[in-house]
Amino acid sequence: MASTHQHDDAHDHQKDYIKVIMWLLIFTALTVAAALDWIPASWGDYGNKLHIGIGLLIAFAKAAMVVYIFMHIKFDQKFIRLFIGIPLFLFSVMVFAFTALESFY
Amino acid sequence: MSGLSLSHEPVSGVAHGKLAMWAFLASEIMFFSGFFGAFIVLRNSNLDVFSASAAELNKWLALVNTIVLIGSSLTMALSILQLQKGNVKLFRLFMGLTILCGLIFLVVKTVEYSGKFHHVLDEHEIMHLRNGVPPNPDALLPGINPSTNVFFAFYFLMTGFHAIHVIAGLIPMVFMFVKSFTKGGYNHPVKVESLGLYWHFVDLVWIFLFPILYLIFPAH
Repeated sequence: MASTHQHDDAHDHQKDYIKVIMWLLIFTALTVAAALDWIPASWGDYGNKLHIGIGLLIAFAKAAMVVYIFMHIKFDQKFIRLFIGIPLFLFSVMVFAFTALESFY
Repeated sequence: MSGLSLSHEPVSGVAHGKLAMWAFLASEIMFFSGFFGAFIVLRNSNLDVFSASAAELNKWLALVNTIVLIGSSLTMALSILQLQKGNVKLFRLFMGLTILCGLIFLVVKTVEYSGKFHHVLDEHEIMHLRNGVPPNPDALLPGINPSTNVFFAFYFLMTGFHAIHVIAGLIPMVFMFVKSFTKGGYNHPVKVESLGLYWHFVDLVWIFLFPILYLIFPAH
């Protein structure tokens, strides 16, 4: 029943959506707070890395929530996960690898 | 739902339109990955210019846009839910709100862009943003523009492509919204679902653009 499969999960997603939006807003507030000047300058390059690391981790956490709940990856057929999973994995490897490269400059 | 449907039943159990959208989004991730990768590499070798340039950006306008876009993702998801339940009125309401959020996003972006274009660089900024090279007085846009430095080239390119994606998403949304008022109504939940996937992706790109462009630079 391809045309009706969306009705199969009687589970009402509305609650999930509200929960996710709350977390997204909390994480947005956190990422803005983390960007304030709270790391002591004496930490130098490590402080800088911590700064970037926190920003990126929060971004990936937010992305995971959007993909999982809003884009229904959690509820849809498992094989769709490959479509977003592989590119997102490669993207995250690239972002973290290139960011780590900074140590060489 | 009529009892007899002559349309193909996809073997995968996933509507073809939705599957095609996923394939398209996978290619979109790669499209934006190029920008992000190049941005990070250039950032590492031009850290001073990048952090001085990022300090010129308006974090708070970007925060407003983040909240607006996250909100629009919620209303989009709710509009899909309502159409699947057959509740046209609520579908219309949430779709309308999504369109409104998209438009607010574009207005804020326009304010941000025009602020940059009309920003006259002072001596200090010429020193830090352009390594002392004064901007071309005959340039089409006198203020901060894509040719100001490599950071702003990326800033305008990445946020510009993102804004184009927002506009591209709004066009079918307006069509669906208007169509829902006609006699035939609009009853294609799978199409709205596919568009929803696209819209969440646009939100996803912004989730990364926001910290990478506006937030992760050390205070200058």
